[in-house]
Amino acid sequence: MNMLNPILARLNKMPRAALITIGLFVALGTFAPWLAPQDPSTQNLLDAGLGPSAAHWLGTDHLGRDTFSRLIIAANTSLVSVGSVLGVAMTIGILLGTIAGYHRGWVDDLLMRVVDVGLSVPSLIISLAVIGIVGPGYWTMVLALALAWWPMSGRISRAVAVSIMSKPHIEALRVLGASPWRIYFGHLLPGTIGSVMVYATADAGTAALAVATLSFLGLGIQPPTPEWGQMLVDALPYLESDPRQVLLPGFALTMAVIGFNTLGESIALNRIPKPLTRRMLAMRRAEVASWSKEKSDA
Amino acid sequence: MTQAPVLKVENLQTRFKSVQRGKYVHAVDDVSIELYPGEIVGLVGESGCGKSTLGRTIVGLEKATSGRVLLDGVDLTTLSGAALRDSRRALQYVFQDPYSSLNDRQTVGEALDEALVIAGTRSPEERDRRTKELLDQVGLASVVRERHTRELSGGQRQRVAIARSLAVNPRVLICDEPVSALDLSIRAQVMNLFLRLQKDLGVACLFIAHDLALVRQAASRVYVMYLGKLVEHGPSQELYDRPSHPYSQMLLASAPEVDPRIEKNRRGPLMIGEVPSPTNPPSGCRFRTRCPLAVDDCAKALPPAHVLSPGHTAACTFAADLHRGKRSALLQQEVSAA
Repeated sequence: MNMLNPILARLNKMPRAALITIGLFVALGTFAPWLAPQDPSTQNLLDAGLGPSAAHWLGTDHLGRDTFSRLIIAANTSLVSVGSVLGVAMTIGILLGTIAGYHRGWVDDLLMRVVDVGLSVPSLIISLAVIGIVGPGYWTMVLALALAWWPMSGRISRAVAVSIMSKPHIEALRVLGASPWRIYFGHLLPGTIGSVMVYATADAGTAALAVATLSFLGLGIQPPTPEWGQMLVDALPYLESDPRQVLLPGFALTMAVIGFNTLGESIALNRIPKPLTRRMLAMRRAEVASWSKEKSDA
Repeated sequence: MTQAPVLKVENLQTRFKSVQRGKYVHAVDDVSIELYPGEIVGLVGESGCGKSTLGRTIVGLEKATSGRVLLDGVDLTTLSGAALRDSRRALQYVFQDPYSSLNDRQTVGEALDEALVIAGTRSPEERDRRTKELLDQVGLASVVRERHTRELSGGQRQRVAIARSLAVNPRVLICDEPVSALDLSIRAQVMNLFLRLQKDLGVACLFIAHDLALVRQAASRVYVMYLGKLVEHGPSQELYDRPSHPYSQMLLASAPEVDPRIEKNRRGPLMIGEVPSPTNPPSGCRFRTRCPLAVDDCAKALPPAHVLSPGHTAACTFAADLHRGKRSALLQQEVSAA
């Protein structure tokens, strides 16, 4: 047990490490166009396949494009596509899930059987089928992945909606005579979105991997837009002569996926890294004590 | 009491589908109660006897299988949709658990404001004024308005919940154990606040509780419920002094005393056995399986409610004897134990 302790202690720091990784990923993705030192699409065949140097910090690829800039821009591509996949999927899922959770009865049964069908087919196969029919492209990929992804968020939001609907504060609203619209839009939907968003973090890693997979297969993001999966497939012919070209995008993708998964897991286990919590709690407590003006007769 | 009752419940019945196929849980069975303006009426009984279900059915949180709920003479069971929501608003409910009856995402001000909006107060200035007034009525400082309800203590939250139900100007308040989730020290404060407000506003109140002492202190009349049925009903002073149904006698005697000297001499565990399943209630009198006075006739038919004195009725064959003190469930129990 003593030998395990240092390892366990290190595991406890994983959420914070993951938070930093994801923070970095999101920051890089958001500000990529300003952060990338060079144009990621400028080719220079004279500099092709060079190792790290002052001009190209992480070297160049087989067409002489700056690898560092391409990795950063790829973070942006990845962030945007994962964001849109989850955004579309969660909108559909939350909408259908809350409707099922609000109405119950046959509406609930019908929607949840649809969800069951969706969940029973592997998501990548659904996306491949959709792309196979419609043809590759950015938005096709986003919609195909969203189609594969919504059943999960649908099921989670239905569960959350059912638990919210059975809470006394919803019953209190019904006793007050609140309209169904007020209950649905004012209380059920915001409550569900908040809870389901947390689960989305856990899904983001898998979604990032799916985007990279589809791009690797040439079915997702099309060249010349830089994307990690696509950089991998570009560099594949040079695996033996120059493994750096494969390792760098692979490493970036791995970090992002592990980061999202660890973060999602720690949130699910309620070990949210909150450096600020303690001080805020103390301030709050001091204030709460001063609120009651308990009258002597009351 | 020559006034017309503000709330009249007639032969109300609530059944739930049982997990056993084709069977029903008879949670509330043929219950009739009346509430007059401005009075507090207690509703007592063991856990699981259906007193909460009765309250919830009256405000419409559970669907009544049959029977009528008349509010100011208007039958709520015939209304639906917006008309029902508007009429039923005069009937408010205070929940037992103040931690889950408020939305954690709202501030106190938002919760009260929403109740006022629902009640149809259009002008924001008017709502603002009413919110201040309500907070003041329940003895909370106005700074609390900006706080999220999750930041408040149990007592503070229950005050907010009471303020919210008062926001819609109710005529009848149904309180489902409003203080039993609170600390003892806070309980008296909230209870006193509640009694003062009830008096000031003249709201009629159905007070559901298992704390018999609390009901005695607060209520003018008491209904005693057992396994979905009313067994006894009377003015609280008389009912507490001369309980005339074996169940009431045993229920009252089983409450612990505060004074240790009296408590020491209190007769031992009085209630024998478990409450029978409401899915298969006993035939005839429902209490007969646990009643020390039960005779064969009790299984045949439900004993009618005997009127013992004005406003005091008990549904027991021996009610008259019990009322006169000729017989006692407690004595009988001791005899059979010996």
